Amino acid sequence: MFKLIGQRAIASLLSLLGLMVLVFFLSRLTGDPAVLFLPIDATEEMKANFRALHGLDAPLLEQFARYVLDLLQFDFGESLRKARPAIDVVMEAYAWTLPLALITLSLVIVAAIVLGSLAAFNVGGFFDRLVSIVSLIGASAPDFWIAIVAIVIFAINLGWLPTSGVGTPLHWVLPVAVLFIRPFGLIVQVVRGSMLSALSAAYVKTARAKGVKNLPIIFVHTLRNAMLPVITVIGDQAAAMLNGAVIVETIFGFPGIGKLMIDSILQRDFNVVLAAIMVTAIAIFIMNILIDIAYGVLDPRIRN
Amino acid sequence: MTIKHILVGALVASTTMVPAMAQDNTDITVVLSEELDLVEPCMATRSNIGRVILQNISETLTELDVRGDKGLMPRLADSWEDKGDGTWQFKLHPGVTFSDGTALDAADVKHSFDRVFSDQMTCESARYFADTALTFTVVDDLTVDVKAEPAQPILPLLMSLVTIVPSETPMEFVRQPVGTGPYEMTEWTAGQQIVLTRRDSYWGAQPEVTKATYLFRSEPAVRAGMVAAGEADIAPQITAEVADNKATDFSYLNSETVYLRIDNADAPTSDIRVRKALNAAIEREAFIGTVLPDGTELAVAMTPPTTLGWNPDLSPPAYDPELAKTLLAEAKADGVDVSLPIEIVARTENFPNVTEVSEALVQMFNEVGFNATLRMVEVAEHEQYYSKPYPESEGTRLVLAQHDNSRGDPAFSMFFKYASQGTQSGVNDPKVDDLIARASAATGEERAALWSELFAYVHDEIVADVLLFHMVGLSRVSERLDFTPTIATNQQLQLAEIGFK
Repeated sequence: MFKLIGQRAIASLLSLLGLMVLVFFLSRLTGDPAVLFLPIDATEEMKANFRALHGLDAPLLEQFARYVLDLLQFDFGESLRKARPAIDVVMEAYAWTLPLALITLSLVIVAAIVLGSLAAFNVGGFFDRLVSIVSLIGASAPDFWIAIVAIVIFAINLGWLPTSGVGTPLHWVLPVAVLFIRPFGLIVQVVRGSMLSALSAAYVKTARAKGVKNLPIIFVHTLRNAMLPVITVIGDQAAAMLNGAVIVETIFGFPGIGKLMIDSILQRDFNVVLAAIMVTAIAIFIMNILIDIAYGVLDPRIRN
Repeated sequence: MTIKHILVGALVASTTMVPAMAQDNTDITVVLSEELDLVEPCMATRSNIGRVILQNISETLTELDVRGDKGLMPRLADSWEDKGDGTWQFKLHPGVTFSDGTALDAADVKHSFDRVFSDQMTCESARYFADTALTFTVVDDLTVDVKAEPAQPILPLLMSLVTIVPSETPMEFVRQPVGTGPYEMTEWTAGQQIVLTRRDSYWGAQPEVTKATYLFRSEPAVRAGMVAAGEADIAPQITAEVADNKATDFSYLNSETVYLRIDNADAPTSDIRVRKALNAAIEREAFIGTVLPDGTELAVAMTPPTTLGWNPDLSPPAYDPELAKTLLAEAKADGVDVSLPIEIVARTENFPNVTEVSEALVQMFNEVGFNATLRMVEVAEHEQYYSKPYPESEGTRLVLAQHDNSRGDPAFSMFFKYASQGTQSGVNDPKVDDLIARASAATGEERAALWSELFAYVHDEIVADVLLFHMVGLSRVSERLDFTPTIATNQQLQLAEIGFK
């Protein structure tokens, strides 16, 4: 198990280095940040001064060498637009994205496993229909539309919740609820399918023949064996959430990493783009290790 | 516990939850469309920064009344005088203090401009002095002479674009701006909010608003919804689709002009008949009240009607597709290849419904016989087409753009858009260059007359471009406020102008 994790860590580190090189040079191909930072009628002198101040007038390889040297000292450089350390900007945003992702994902996992298992156990029953409806909404309704409708109903018409922002726990309800729907719809279907398959196994029939009750059959015997594909899908969804939830962040004014990354790309704030991608990549790398550990816990064959 | 019990319980619990609402006192909440990257006073001419800082935290020597007819008004400078030889003398208002407690003096004015022109930072307001060298001489604590080379007749107006900071302000972007304005910044939580609190020691009249909290939401429906839900009091820049409440939603000219820039050097648009045909092909009125909000005005100049020298005698080209076809036929008969492709280049999210407007323009052009296509691009790519050097193309490109001039004088527009050396100009005409040079150097009525003549010349004589619309801004304002947004709201939002009913 430790050997497996070690191998994964080395592979991830190499991926991280490759990513850094790729993003550095690709971001430079997008154009000149001075054009976007300064007004359209800025003089050439102003543009040249901006480039000189931020080291953008140096040859590309020299810029890269300087960037790598700074990075070795954990210096991601300064945000071109915000005039402060890029890593500070990114970590501030990540401090909002991480809890949003963790809370949403935890709720999704618990709800999807419970409802998916119950749906599989009683095909065509209440939970099965509920799962189908939510899955359908999650797959077909755009996040944007759901978010706006939720604001109109729960914040403006009913006045139960704030429209947006991050001030109190109540502010989190709508963003989490909107972010919940799509991954829940996906994971609950995987749980249902996987459980259906597991429930038809011989050991389940044996347990039933021995008089074991339904709940232990579902949650003790079957679920563990049905979890491997579920873990894989959870990993995919978690990676998407760790990259930020652009729509939810945009509509609810949630200062997370997704919108920051999009804005930074559009504004050519290279240092913030690089810092955001590196931090996100590290988070995903850590999450992949956790998933590997989860595989090992669930399946001794992987552990050994 | 049944599902029914759970739902009823949730309903009862939810009715006890009261979200944070806007305050019912003299504190207000403003929800803006764009977060501030910086709160640097020398960047206050950038609209998103200006709405928070300009005349609230940081003040300028002079102030332009773009809403009424007061023209250029005193602010930190009580008076100014042309001393000849390009030198203007400004007398500062006595007894003004900054929010750090220090007194305003002439050295602060000099330092503020030193920062603007410093090569240790990139201040946006430097662009207004591109070809002008300024020399500051401190005469006494409250008097400063400013010599401009070459002489700058609108120097007092240009002083309305530079905010004054204390001499101690470093030559780098600051995160805690210090100004002479009626408010000081008491909180800035990046990504979330900025709070301005009224200064008891302000030198002028005390505004009614005691505290202003700025929030940032990029979605117009959310901004409008926040005012409707009582979470905010002012939401600038909402869209026509969500502006559905006459009691709270205001429409006003916002100083933006939408136009199609024509490259007069390209074929087939080098022929004036083709340019006239482009203008005649567009049914401008059809856009208003459909894809553009009611109140949008047809443009006859690059600047809004509140600008000096506005020419009331000009009228928009009539929609006349038959005339357009005839003009094209005449041009074709004289050997102009009118079948050459014309690509309309427009920027996504430039203004609400920009795609619909662009598509309609293309369709109208093609209906009279042009070979027009549309390319929607992001802001960075748009800039490549908009500013010189223009990329080569087969045929020509018409760049759909939006230009803002709330500064009161055409000097901020006409050189860039029409002079042969102008960065976004499609014109190379000696008479235009001459009129721009003379108008820029003139003062008073002569200046207004020359700008007026230039407006007529580019619109009627050379048909330099396709002027389309003076755009409308929409803002939602809480009914508890006594505040009417105006053309100035595009660039600044003076809290001192806000009262309570």
